[in-house]
Amino acid sequence: MFRFTIRRLMSGVALLLIVTSATFFLAHLAIGDPTAGLLGNSATPAQRAALHEKLGLDRPLFVQFWDWFSHALRGDFGTSWRNFQPVSDQIALRVPVTLSVVIAATVLAAALGLAVGVATGLRPGGALARVLKLASVVLFALPGFWVSLVLVMLFAVRLQWFPAVGYVPLTQSASGWLSSITLPAVALALSAIVMIAEQLRNGFVEVTKQDYVRTLRARGLSTRRVTLHVLRNASPAALTVLAVMFVGLLGGAIVVEIIFNLPGIGQLTQSASQIGDIPILLGLTAVTVVFVVLVNFLLDLVLGWINPKVRDI
Amino acid sequence: MNPRVRATLTPRAEGCDGERKGGFLSPSIRHQRPSYSREDSMKRIWRVTLAAVAAFAMAACTNTTAPSDGGTGTDDDIKIGTLLDVTSWDPAQADIGFDGPYLSAVYDPLVSLNEDSDPVPGLAMSWKYSADRLKLTMELREDVTFSDGEVFDAAAAVRNLEHLKAGVRSGATYANVERFEEVDEDTIALHLKQKDEALLYYMGLGRSWIASPAAIKAETLATQPVGSGPYTFESNTSTPGSEYVFTKRPEHWDDQTYPFATLHVLPIADPTASFNAMLSGQLDVAYANATDIPRAKERGWNVAADVATWVGIQFTDRTGERLKPLGDVRVRRAINHAFDGAAMLESVGQGAGAATNQVFPAGGPVHDPSLDDRYAHDMDQAKKLMADAGYADGFDVTMPMSSIFQPWQPSVEQTLGELGIKVAWKDLSPADYQKNAATYPMFVAVLALDSNPAASMDGRIVSEQWFNPNPSTQDFPEVQKLVDEALDTTGADQLPLIRELNEEITEQAWQSVWYQADNTYFSVEDITVTPITGMMFPTLRFIQRG
Repeated sequence: MFRFTIRRLMSGVALLLIVTSATFFLAHLAIGDPTAGLLGNSATPAQRAALHEKLGLDRPLFVQFWDWFSHALRGDFGTSWRNFQPVSDQIALRVPVTLSVVIAATVLAAALGLAVGVATGLRPGGALARVLKLASVVLFALPGFWVSLVLVMLFAVRLQWFPAVGYVPLTQSASGWLSSITLPAVALALSAIVMIAEQLRNGFVEVTKQDYVRTLRARGLSTRRVTLHVLRNASPAALTVLAVMFVGLLGGAIVVEIIFNLPGIGQLTQSASQIGDIPILLGLTAVTVVFVVLVNFLLDLVLGWINPKVRDI
Repeated sequence: MNPRVRATLTPRAEGCDGERKGGFLSPSIRHQRPSYSREDSMKRIWRVTLAAVAAFAMAACTNTTAPSDGGTGTDDDIKIGTLLDVTSWDPAQADIGFDGPYLSAVYDPLVSLNEDSDPVPGLAMSWKYSADRLKLTMELREDVTFSDGEVFDAAAAVRNLEHLKAGVRSGATYANVERFEEVDEDTIALHLKQKDEALLYYMGLGRSWIASPAAIKAETLATQPVGSGPYTFESNTSTPGSEYVFTKRPEHWDDQTYPFATLHVLPIADPTASFNAMLSGQLDVAYANATDIPRAKERGWNVAADVATWVGIQFTDRTGERLKPLGDVRVRRAINHAFDGAAMLESVGQGAGAATNQVFPAGGPVHDPSLDDRYAHDMDQAKKLMADAGYADGFDVTMPMSSIFQPWQPSVEQTLGELGIKVAWKDLSPADYQKNAATYPMFVAVLALDSNPAASMDGRIVSEQWFNPNPSTQDFPEVQKLVDEALDTTGADQLPLIRELNEEITEQAWQSVWYQADNTYFSVEDITVTPITGMMFPTLRFIQRG
């Protein structure tokens, strides 16, 4: 297990280095000179030249890369080109927002996906299973922004149960925080719920056909105990989907963040891309890769716990 | 199915540890544990799930926002939704565009603007130019202290102006200032290298916010604003990027101008989200999308709008150095005649703006409505001008394009195509557009307007800008003559000359302006907003009760 853990961590670090380095060069290639975007319409050539020098853009690209990279290794991602504040401070402000919504969506998707998946797995031909099939088609077909807008119009504008926009930090008010993330989390979770339920149902049906399940029943185990055994063996596919979904939501939360006006990393990514704030983009890339590596690492640990054979893969 | 999933099925199936310990047919196991049927399992799952969802919903449903017709419902509070987050709390690093509501809360300016965009006193109670207009002397208020207890005086003003002059974003305003002088405790002087008729306007627009000198020295302004403004920033209850909260300072010298006890500013980038926030009662004032105007009026909200940008084609090669046809005024006029600006305003601009072919704001002192017919849409006339110039078959041109300007791309391609002008589009990222657009002989532009005539003349015609790297006035003797005359005069004498200049550049088809687009603001019934051309979002003094 120790070697397995070290191997996974090493590959994660390698991925982090490769992705951030590639992002550095691609961003500089794509954005070029960002000074006009950073200074706005009224910028004069003299202002742009001054900013060019201040940002160190007159140095060779490899010198700039080494400067960034050597600082990044020490945890210093530099300062934003937009407001000259530390990148890490700005990302630290945004990460809790996105994580709040994405974790809430993941928990919601896992809980409801588990309930629906097990229920339909127990009765694969039942009414609920048919509803699930229909729901999976419908919810996959509906664009996320449309679902978000419907939720806003219904629960924020008409019923006024939840705020239409904004985020309240957990440290400020627990109920306000929950209220501000509920609709975004539901919007993100809806399609994930059916995805997980479908995976779980399919796994459930497969596993239920196995000889050992019949043996367990023949031994006189209760349905609950049998269900728990089946669930454990049927869960890896759903767990993998859940992990992939979590990573996908981190990157895909941007639409929901815009519609609900949440100051998360999605919004920051969008604004940084628009104005060409490369240090922020690099910081966000690093953070996202860290999350991807962590989630995959945790997934591997869980799958390794469920099935020791995968530790050797 | 995932191969790893399949691999788990058999081995774990044999690992039923608990049951092995109990024995295959151990009666104790069967008797000690209650037996659950499949139905029981389902019921339990559903009960737990429903209970969890209900608890979550109950806990989350704490929104107590106000009436559905907009408004936060509290008399002393105001919630303002603007388009962008604050760039920086440091006035030297802030942007004039959308930073106004944030910075005007915590800072007082030396100079403000009134509703006509004329400079009016702020912390500078009065000012006077020397006869040669190279020295501007300002008398300062004496009763002002910053929120950290520091006193505002001439030394503080000079320290701030030096800080602003050195600022990357604010420096251009003071480019013509040689030095700042502390004349006495309450008097300062700005010594100019050359006459600058737009200086006071730019200072009033958002380039003279005054911060505590101690905060400037500590270099903490970017995140911790310390000013003498009407409000103090409440960092503990604010959520950066989502909502900024301010409370009114007692006994502010301009107390009457700021009627709200608590101020909330919410940056909301998406107009739909902003409109929904108004609908749900989370906002009192919102930066709006013109398409929502009918719905806003149905709800009884106030709608305020004024021109903010001009939309059209910017020519960067009027001398024809890179693209010979553009050096012929008949070709530039043909392009002006070819576009139906009024139709583009309706179709792309949702009718929110003014159809005009001038770069001076419609309704302003320089704009001449009679010139708007100078290039009335007339494709026959346009083709005739092209033929007269020797380009009856048109010519090829490469133009930049980015996602922001795509709404106009089909019209441009079709209209120029009718003149035989074949456009090869070069796709650029939005960030790259500003860098590279002006390297092409012409490009689609949306450029900010200024309400001050001298500032407009300088920014749009005379000085080198990213969108106008080669002003080329010297190549047009009539234009240069009027520019020189206008720069030599001042005040009331200058205005007629700028009007003449506007007429001349219209005649020279300096740009192909299709229309001027509005910035639109919605506010609840008892709050009014006065838009100011030049400010993308007005400062707080233009948001009032009534």
